[in-house]
Amino acid sequence: MVCAVVSASISPNFMERIHSVRLIPRETRTIDINVILDFLNESCMCLPGTIVAESGDLYNMEIWRVKSILGRDFKYPETIAERMAVETAHHISIAGRRLIVGDKSMHGKTGAMNKNEPG
Amino acid sequence: MNRDKKEKTAVLLMRESPTKPLDSSRMRELRGLAEAAGYQVLAEVSQRRGRDSRYQIGRGKIEEARSHNPEKLIFYNALSPNQVFNITSEFSARVLDRFNLILEIFSTRASTREAKLQVELARLSYDAPQVKSALALKKRGEQPGFRGAGAYEQSMYHDIRGRMAKIRSELAYVENMGEDRRQRRREQGFDLAAIAGYTNAGKSTLLNALTGSKVEAKDQPFTTLSPTTRAREVLGRRVLFTDTVGFIDDLPHFLIKAFRSTLSEISEADLVLLVADASDPLELLRRKLAASHKALWDCEVRAPIVTVLNKADRLEEGRAEKIVELIRDLAPCPVLASAFSGQGLGVLEECISMRLQPLQEYSIRLPYTAQGLSELSRLYETAELLSVSYEEELVIRLRAKKETIARASLSGARRM
Repeated sequence: MVCAVVSASISPNFMERIHSVRLIPRETRTIDINVILDFLNESCMCLPGTIVAESGDLYNMEIWRVKSILGRDFKYPETIAERMAVETAHHISIAGRRLIVGDKSMHGKTGAMNKNEPG
Repeated sequence: MNRDKKEKTAVLLMRESPTKPLDSSRMRELRGLAEAAGYQVLAEVSQRRGRDSRYQIGRGKIEEARSHNPEKLIFYNALSPNQVFNITSEFSARVLDRFNLILEIFSTRASTREAKLQVELARLSYDAPQVKSALALKKRGEQPGFRGAGAYEQSMYHDIRGRMAKIRSELAYVENMGEDRRQRRREQGFDLAAIAGYTNAGKSTLLNALTGSKVEAKDQPFTTLSPTTRAREVLGRRVLFTDTVGFIDDLPHFLIKAFRSTLSEISEADLVLLVADASDPLELLRRKLAASHKALWDCEVRAPIVTVLNKADRLEEGRAEKIVELIRDLAPCPVLASAFSGQGLGVLEECISMRLQPLQEYSIRLPYTAQGLSELSRLYETAELLSVSYEEELVIRLRAKKETIARASLSGARRM
């Protein structure tokens, strides 16, 4: 899986400035809320400000629980700009995942072709 | 007479999640909706518990509500087809959930063909999966005859889908007409401002106060269903203000989709005036603003927004500034105003003229033909002419919208 983090300054209805973008891949055997929160915490490390994430991504967990687990300020998107920022991160993560998975499948295909090559 | 009165009695029921804090404003909102639909509310029953799969709320609470002998039980929470069936059959009570209550208000107030079609589409979008599920339930039991449920019942779902497709195509036609109308208005030099916001925030009153019109405005939710447009000159700019249907929290996505042709007045506007009731308690105000932001996001609004904190005359001295500070993260460009007393409308006009995209300066040439001269006459009406010189051709320097210049080019105008 891939986690995309967009660090931005926002006004209520516009993203004013994007400061940085992070794209972090990770492989896990299972996926649950603890894995996701760990991954989220690690991805947002050293970035100041409030973390905003889609409620569905965190199993609709209450904000106070997420805040206490992460140990920092957190909220679900409320304003247009926050939704825009989350959407931007989604686009980046999907593009990144396609890039990674696409590369792997290409290697896999090459491998398969090599195997099938007549000796 | 007595029978009519009996038919319009209801008890309100609400199940609150034990993991969320208590919120009495939701019950107040449900009461407002029930009263707007013409129900006399006999009692309010609420319970904090997890969802009951059979009745949504506890059995004892439904019995308590039934003891008031109402005609209908109105639930805040959405009811599944199974829950409606169970409550209706076991308690012999007619039930409504919040969504159906809103649809009932809409259907009684819809006056234009467009509004009626939108309400019908919303109703069918809600009914389609329910009919599908009812058919599936019916097929489970013993079926008389070969293949069970019967051709009529089987075709009901397909009939609904067919009717929905027909309404959608009619609404698409209305939407295209709206798009053409907006384009024409822009060519005529108008800026389009949409008045949007949570229901019962005072949008129609603000339209009346800004334009001096007499649109129906009442202290009840969903007084306006179809958009109403009025013109007004704001500090040298000709602006068309459009009053729109109010937003409400926790609405299903398909209702917003059904009202897309009306909401396109908001999404295609040059400026959105987001109206909020400043006299609401802070938590409620924040919740309503967040719900409005969600609805604006669903409408794909990209225009600049001015937040009008209406009913500011009801606020105590010194509280207004505090409220503005506390909702700054949810309120772009906040302006305190009162549509009722006229307070703050001057500041609002200044804010509107600042947030509208400035007119660009162009120099164009027009030929000395009948068409060219009539275009000049039209430009005097629709644009701000800075200079006109009569040379080999007409040379005009003007400030206008790009749509106005595009329209002029059809009459032979050439940009310099």
